[in-house]
This record gives sequence, structure tokens and C-alpha cells, in this order.
Amino acid sequence: MPPDGLERHRHASSPLHRLDARVKLLGAVALIVAVLALPVVAWRGFGAVGLLLAFLVGLSGIPPRELARRWLGMFVLVAFLVAMIAPAHPDRPQYGLAAVAVGILIKNGLALLTMIVLAGTTPFARLLVGMRKLGMPAVLVATLQFMERYRHVLIDEVDRMATARRARTFRRGGALSWSILGGLIGQLFLRTFERAERVHDAMIARGWDGTIPSDF
Amino acid sequence: MHIPDMVLDPKVAAATGAIGAAGLIYAVRKLERQHGERTTVLMGTMSAFVFAAQMVNFPVWPGVSGHLLGGVLSAVLLGPWAGAVVVAAVLIVQCFLFNDGGLTALGANFVNMGLIGSVGGYAIYAPLRRAISGPKGTLIGAMAAAWFSVLLASGAFAMELAASGRRGDFLRILSWMAMVHSLIGIGEALITGIVVRYVLLRRPDLLDPEAGPTTGAGRWGRTMLGGLAVALAIAIFLAPFASEFPDGLEFVGEHLGFLPAKTVAPALPSPMADYELKLPGFEQARVATAMAGLVGTLAVFGLALGMARVLPRAKRERTTLDAA
Repeated sequence: MPPDGLERHRHASSPLHRLDARVKLLGAVALIVAVLALPVVAWRGFGAVGLLLAFLVGLSGIPPRELARRWLGMFVLVAFLVAMIAPAHPDRPQYGLAAVAVGILIKNGLALLTMIVLAGTTPFARLLVGMRKLGMPAVLVATLQFMERYRHVLIDEVDRMATARRARTFRRGGALSWSILGGLIGQLFLRTFERAERVHDAMIARGWDGTIPSDF
Repeated sequence: MHIPDMVLDPKVAAATGAIGAAGLIYAVRKLERQHGERTTVLMGTMSAFVFAAQMVNFPVWPGVSGHLLGGVLSAVLLGPWAGAVVVAAVLIVQCFLFNDGGLTALGANFVNMGLIGSVGGYAIYAPLRRAISGPKGTLIGAMAAAWFSVLLASGAFAMELAASGRRGDFLRILSWMAMVHSLIGIGEALITGIVVRYVLLRRPDLLDPEAGPTTGAGRWGRTMLGGLAVALAIAIFLAPFASEFPDGLEFVGEHLGFLPAKTVAPALPSPMADYELKLPGFEQARVATAMAGLVGTLAVFGLALGMARVLPRAKRERTTLDAA
């Protein structure tokens, strides 16, 4: 899991940041579906989408270094998969192996770029409100809102527990560290479960009826 | 394991997207009926838990580390559908926030890891837990389920990849996927086992079979599902050998309609069509895949038995302490 390097840019201000999350969400979906619909080798289409994305990246103010870092993070996996499917691609006899492989890599890169621009200009909470307004089931959105809230709390908790473990055990590595690390996760589960009960009780006490108002 | 964008054919992406959306809505409805307004809090915090647990890196080799996937762990701790919803929430955040896994592959990823990984994994766990009584059954069931669920997910992944390319390539992709994932599966089984054992020792009430989440399927339904899942997993390892009888596979393919009928021969006979399967090294890969399956299954059961040895003793200590 790469560290979330976009966190700082997500709350910046640009015309793209100010745009309604629904517009951005639908725009991203439309663009990715359009790229998906392109043939595997369509240099002009790639060029057009690439220019549009370059314009959007410029508008959003996301540093290219961050884009490259995220793309490289995914590259190994994508390249592995491309190596597996390119030889069997139906269009291979028509274009040749290299063109098909490069074509899939470019298409994937364009889709990834679109998602990075979306992620880099929209705070996740906004995105969820947009999803809710677009008709995603309320329970699911509320679950995701909870997750986003407690994700940070629990990652901090893991950090504290890991620090405490390092303070007590002077060893590193070795087979036994697996059982220690597993115990850490087990302990985290118990703490999370108890925390969920406390949070739920507190919410009931404050009149929670199972829905999060979507009009904020 | 996360499928990125553009690797899947649009038709495959659309089909898995539809199956995934339907499965997710069904799971959420089922949970709402079961937990009421508690659903959101429980699922939300548990998804956050899986996310945080994935931050814990397990050393595999100098320079290489792995982490928990968590599909079976959440299914064992919370029930099959809750496990699937937790996986869905994690996948959505990974896709939108970290760009891990493609937007158009979200459905496929959820089908593989949520529906097949979590619900399918639970179908293996439940009958094993019933067959082996006590906390031992819970531990062995969870570890076996974790191992098989990773394999099942990788098999589904291979099927989706093969459906996006030329069908004849299925076995080659399957071999590679199964080989890579038999290693990942052992890691997942070990981590899941350690965590489940910890919970069994500290709060056995949370994993009590009697108080466990009840599912709609009856005992026999679940046993059947579990058997089916195990059979599928074994088939993944034996499938590469099925290429000894390609006619059988083609026969089924033609009848199910995923292979073109033989009469419609390609206009240009592709010289690669049968060559791919005869690449040097494929024979070894095939044997290695089957070996990996056999050794992996035995290793997981051996590890589970070893780890379970501590359990009954711990339980007796607990009861004597309670009595005193």
C-alpha cells in the first residue's frame, strides 16, 4: 500500500477542486469507459485523451512527480499481467506483440492518470457525498464514511502498538516475529470490536437511527 | 491480486461489474436485516480494521514482506456476507484513494476477493468447524479456508484474464496464477491462523460456534457449498493436466458457447495457437503447479494442527481459573 502522497493536494484550491464531486465522478467514469472502448492500438485516440489529461493535470496543480510515483508503483504488476495476456490477445496477429503490449500499457496509464486526478482533487468525504447523490445505497455510503473516519484512528492505534512492541522486544526478524505481529493484529481486532461497541452506544445515546444526513 | 484497468475485456468487465453489484446489494440487505442500524458502525470499523491490519508487514525474505488480505479473517470473525462487505469497502477505498485496482475492474475484484474469497472461504470454513469440534475446528477451518480462498480467487482471476484474451490460453495463465498464489495462500493462512488463535485465547466467546452468525443456508447446504469450493480449488491444480485431453475441454467449451465451434476455423491459421502450450518449461510449470497445490495443502493443515495444539490446554487453564 503506497503512502497517500496526495493528501496535501486534495484540499488545495483549483477550478478542478471546486467542481462538484458528481461531475468529476461521472467525468472520470466516462473518460475511462471511453479509453476502454478504444481499440488496443489507437495512437491518435491515446494522443487526444493524453492531451485532455495533461490539461486537467495542469489545471489541478498535482505535481508530475506524484503522478510518476503512483504510476511506477503500479507498473510492475501491470507489466506482469500484460506479459501474460498480450501473447494471447485477439488483435495480436493484426498489430504484433510489441504494439499490443504497449497499447495495453498506455490504456492502463491513461485510466490510472484519470483516477489520480480524481483522487488528487476530491477529498474522499466529498466523493462519498457525490456517490450518495448519484444513487449509491445509503448504508454502503455510511459504511464507507465510517471506514474513512476510523481508518486514520486505527492506523494510529497500530502505530502506537508497534512502538510499544519495539520498546519491549529487543529482537528483530526471525520466525517468532510472525506470531508477535499476528498477536498485534489480533489485539487490534479486539480493541476495534470494543471500540465499535462504545461508539455505537454513544451514537444511540445521541439519537442515531442508522442514517447519516446526506445534505452536508 | 488487484486487477488494474484495461487488462480485462469490456464485456468481462461489464459482466463481473453486474455480478459484483448484485452480490454487494444482496450482502448489504442481508446484513441490515441481521444487524439493523448497527450494520454501519460494525462494517465501517471492521473495514478500517482490515485496512489498518494491512499496514502490519510480515517479513517473508530479506527485502520482501507480505501482509494480510483479510477476506477470510473478516468472514470468520463477522460472518460471510459481512466479510464480503468489508472487502468491498476496502476495495473501494483502495481504488479511489490509492488507485490500487482499476475502476472498471472493481466488479471483478469484488467477485474474486469478496464473493469468492470471503463467501466462498466461509463455505469451506463452516463445515470444517462443524466437523472438528472445539476451538481446534475453528482454527483449522479458518486456516484451510484462507488457503483455499486465495487459490479460488486466483483461479477466478485467471478465468477473467483468459476470457479477455484467447480462450486456449486459459491453462497457461491458470498455472502461473496458481503457482504464485499457492505461496501467497500459505502466508494468508498463517497470518489468519495466528490472529484467529489469538482471539480464541483471549475472547473465545466472539468465535463461539453456537453464538456465531447464522446464515440462511442449512447445514447440508453449507457442507455442499464447502465441498464444491474445495473441489474447485483442487481442480485449479489439476486443470493444467486436463490439457492432455484438449478435446474434452473444447467439447464442453463449444457446448457452453465460450469457444467458437470448430467448423468456424480461423481464416488465418495462427501458428501460435497450439505452440503456447508446448513452450519449454510449461511441462515443468504444470508439474510444479500440482506439486505446489499438494505440498501447500499439506503444509497448511500441518501448520494448523501444530498451532491448534496449544488451544485445548489454554481453554482448560481458563476454566480452572474461572472455577478458582
